[in-house]
Amino acid sequence: MAKVAAEAGKISPISLPGGLWRPLRGTKIEALALVGGVILWEVLGWLLEMPWLPPFSKIMEALVQFVQSGVILGNAAVSLQGLAIGFSVSLIVGLFVGALMGRYRRVEKALDIYIHALFISPSMIFAPIFFAIFGLSDLVRIAVIVMYSLFVIIINTATAVRTVDPVLVEMASSFGAKERQIFLRILLPASLPLIFAGIRLGMGRAVKGMINGEMFIAMVGLGALAQRYGSQFEASKVFAIAMVVLIIGLVTNWLVQTLEHKLTSWVD
Amino acid sequence: MIQVRGLNKEFLGRDGADTGLLAIDSLNFEVRDNEFLTVIGPSGCGKTTLLRIIAGLIPYDGGEVNINGVPVTGPGPDRSVVFQNFALMPWADVLTNVVFGLEIRGVPKSDCKATGMRLVRLVGLEGFERRLPKELSGGMQQRVGLARALAVSPQILRMDEPFGALDEQTRRLLQEQLLRIWEQERKTVLFITHSMEEAVLLGDRVMLMTTRPGRVKEIINVPLKRPRGQETEKSTTFIEIKEYLWENLRSMQVA
Repeated sequence: MAKVAAEAGKISPISLPGGLWRPLRGTKIEALALVGGVILWEVLGWLLEMPWLPPFSKIMEALVQFVQSGVILGNAAVSLQGLAIGFSVSLIVGLFVGALMGRYRRVEKALDIYIHALFISPSMIFAPIFFAIFGLSDLVRIAVIVMYSLFVIIINTATAVRTVDPVLVEMASSFGAKERQIFLRILLPASLPLIFAGIRLGMGRAVKGMINGEMFIAMVGLGALAQRYGSQFEASKVFAIAMVVLIIGLVTNWLVQTLEHKLTSWVD
Repeated sequence: MIQVRGLNKEFLGRDGADTGLLAIDSLNFEVRDNEFLTVIGPSGCGKTTLLRIIAGLIPYDGGEVNINGVPVTGPGPDRSVVFQNFALMPWADVLTNVVFGLEIRGVPKSDCKATGMRLVRLVGLEGFERRLPKELSGGMQQRVGLARALAVSPQILRMDEPFGALDEQTRRLLQEQLLRIWEQERKTVLFITHSMEEAVLLGDRVMLMTTRPGRVKEIINVPLKRPRGQETEKSTTFIEIKEYLWENLRSMQVA
């Protein structure tokens, strides 16, 4: 019996004793933790009866109602559109500026202080300024998303390009490679693993920026919805929206990771 | 023919400031067409700096470096390099690495592939052309490096301690393979090494350098007949030259 359990332990990350636990053998510990958390939440919700902690089932109920009424899908579409535009801007500008900073010492020296200052400062501080500039336009939401995600992409790209093995650049130069060829054939592929680390962080921050910007403007999107129900103390609805945001965060992260695995499979 | 006359190169300080210290001091030598010249000297004698100057990768401060009478001002299509740590692109397969120089020089894709495959066969890597560098042993990786350097049909091949990162057995096999290839496709080779056996086994002449500043101490003729191989290392001439090199290097070496 003990031997069987030990063998099961090799397959799954946990090994459970036989008998009573047998049906659970081979289940992943992550799944168990998730189910355990939900059960705990549900029980605490019913026991405590606190307005800020509705039972998990109530949140799911609110979520189903949201989906059926179309409120969530409409607002999620608006949010995602902002996310797509804002993140694309961050990606293009971030890769370009980061690559220049990584390759040219002078560009780095000139910009480094600004990039780091903007990276460290709380991004939401700029929301009122964007509001003053753009008024009640989608550009405010998009600008906030860019503020959240741009600088981590720049910093990672710059580090990635700067730390490319100089021997590879020398090799390319020895064959007479032009600067453009060195960028495209050596620096870009060699930096991809680190660049992707920055893109992944940037994506997570962009989702945060999306919600925070919408909460500030309080007009459209999931953030505005959360803001509205938050001020009405509708905890189960706020949690339901948080659940949707969580799903968006997980899916976008998964997208980036899938692309990363495809493009950097050569890394050990 | 490579002609180096009165070559000076200063060490660069931080931020490229002048230091006044000479890495290479009034260096004079010639490499004849299709000659195999090996360069040996203690660490820090400016061997690698010399190679990079001849490659046109770094500027020099004084003197002349001419190839076939033309001063070196940058990398040229007549030269290619085999690097000590292979310098392969880890994301690209063997064939892509081999044809890199050709593609940089704008050779059409189909020609690249044909030439690439010929060289993959020449260095004995047929069947490995779609493998990534990390899937190959060190010796195989350096054969890719050699194939890449040969692919552009250079007149001059510069090799910077190419077998220095390999174990003894692999190193010997690659030396034999290099000699075989060189017999087939004669080129001017400038070969830097730390190994006295390697210097004598491969070179038509051995250039012995001193350290700080880098100067030519002596250029020694190696009158061993070609093709060379295992038997060569048993000859008295081989052993004598090797011993002579050691005597000289030993007095220079600071342990």
